[in-house]
Amino acid sequence: MSKWNDLQEHSFLESNARDRALGIVDDGTFTELAGPFDRLSSPHLELLGDAVAFDDGLVSGVGRIGKTPVFVVSQEGRFIGGSIGEVGGAKMANTIKLAIDFHDKLVADYPDLSEEEKPVLVISFETGGVRLHESNAGLLAHAEVMDLFQKARGKVPVISLIGSKVGCFGGMGFVAAATDVIIMSEFGRLGLTGPEVIEQEMGKEEFDSSDRALVFRTTGGRHKYIIGDANFLVADTIAAFREKVAELAPLPVAAFEEMRRVGSPETVERQVRGVALAAEMHPQDARDVWAKAGNDDPASLTDMPLAAFLGQVKRLSV
Amino acid sequence: MEAQETMMGKGREAIEMIVDPGSFEENTVGGKSVAEEDYGPGAAVGTAKLDGKEVTIIASDGMSFNERFPVVYAGVIGMEEGYKMARSVYASLEADKDKPLDEKRALVLIVDTPGNGPGKVEEIFGMNKSTGAYQLALAEARLAGHPIVAMVIGRAVSGAFLCHGLQADNILSLDANFGTIIHVMPLTSVSRIIRKDLEVLEELSKDNPVFASGPRFFHTLGGVETLVETVEGMRPAIIEHIASIRKAKAEGKQDTLGPWGRGALGAERGGRALRPKVMDVMNKEFEAVADQYAPAR
Repeated sequence: MSKWNDLQEHSFLESNARDRALGIVDDGTFTELAGPFDRLSSPHLELLGDAVAFDDGLVSGVGRIGKTPVFVVSQEGRFIGGSIGEVGGAKMANTIKLAIDFHDKLVADYPDLSEEEKPVLVISFETGGVRLHESNAGLLAHAEVMDLFQKARGKVPVISLIGSKVGCFGGMGFVAAATDVIIMSEFGRLGLTGPEVIEQEMGKEEFDSSDRALVFRTTGGRHKYIIGDANFLVADTIAAFREKVAELAPLPVAAFEEMRRVGSPETVERQVRGVALAAEMHPQDARDVWAKAGNDDPASLTDMPLAAFLGQVKRLSV
Repeated sequence: MEAQETMMGKGREAIEMIVDPGSFEENTVGGKSVAEEDYGPGAAVGTAKLDGKEVTIIASDGMSFNERFPVVYAGVIGMEEGYKMARSVYASLEADKDKPLDEKRALVLIVDTPGNGPGKVEEIFGMNKSTGAYQLALAEARLAGHPIVAMVIGRAVSGAFLCHGLQADNILSLDANFGTIIHVMPLTSVSRIIRKDLEVLEELSKDNPVFASGPRFFHTLGGVETLVETVEGMRPAIIEHIASIRKAKAEGKQDTLGPWGRGALGAERGGRALRPKVMDVMNKEFEAVADQYAPAR
């Protein structure tokens, strides 16, 4: 059995960034760009006397799913929490730039280009955001990514995959929110402020960051699916994520616009209604919101098998 | 450099210092209401005249407190604030959608924010969407031709600076003698978290601005275009930058502005030297395989 076949049934949660990148696209189609052999590692970590990674903790490249070119960014949580520094930030930004430029070139070169032949971008998030060892460079890279997302609008759909150990927090939390579509597993976590910082800010009585169940209820995949921040909730295998990406990849870019949570005056008005509900409810727990969404026994939603959850859960509509 | 009285917490005063006297009309953009009076009090938004021309103002108000969301005070951007700011941007786009490029109103962001709302309710409802929404709106307005200038008067901290400031065409900052803070976190906290001696970090940051804190280091990194030395200097500097941004947009030089433009500036000023090299390697490697990913005909 090939490595690719073997990867498909791997837990997405347990997989490293390169395996996720390889396994998401068709077998044998992935070309890594600025890979470890280019040895582009962080000069800033070196200056601090810290270990470096030859890929700076971020895999970038291009592959294919069927007829669709798929640009890939995949973050490695095992290297300094998947944090974004100068090199990784430049790799992430430039992958988006390459996808946009390739789109423009294909449109110009092929008058009969079909929707499914246009490129998409997939980002597998595993990060807490800015790398503190080179924080200013990491911060500026985040801004470049947000700018490029807007430049990609109407051209290259951006698909987020969130189901890795570190989750997706800090600046990368809003980077993910700004993409077209978010696919999560129930083990994925998405937010802005990490649990420890909320505890520090609000006190342990209000938010106990060591309470794993509470943390998952607040930022985990099931909650994010109920509240509408995740468009799709899939099983924890590379194959399950890949299957969803493959289903979305051939869709016209307009279909992706409809999946967005923010990015237009209309979506902002919808979110404003959600914030009004937050002000009115002041939920003590995410389960209060699940009940508000029409789930009669919210506590039961946490532990039931995924298929049963997807079969019966009611999602919030505002 | 003589120490000056800080402008921290004085976003509303800064509006008056910058715009034509008495011209600020709060909560209205393009003749339409963008927010109820007490909505998202951490941000003061509206329309003013600058040198006789209409501009949209989006300012941090560090003196306010949001009663509905108690983590929002001292200039923190909460969920209401982010969407209120985004609405002001979309209202600017809507008001000028049929106007030619040189008549699209400028947006002036007055930046004094220590963070994004860090609460449980914020995480349950998705604070990340609010800050993301505002950034996408700013990027859309910038790419549509509106000149956007950010003026850092106090604190521009981490994700809140990304939200309110880093999507501008140009970023100006009051110089370090005003106690201006631009960073992800103070060097003392960085030292504790990454477990390096503060002295070592301080020494390294003299030559390497990626570790350091303050407007001067951001200037070297290309994260701030211009340092402004007096409060009186803010108004003329903003007017001047709006004019030069308009010129660049008219000439189709959008890539010299905004985050992408600041990437080039960072390399030019020697602050982010590896970024262009990384991109160059990727571009060459992709060029060599691009045909494999083009449709087979």
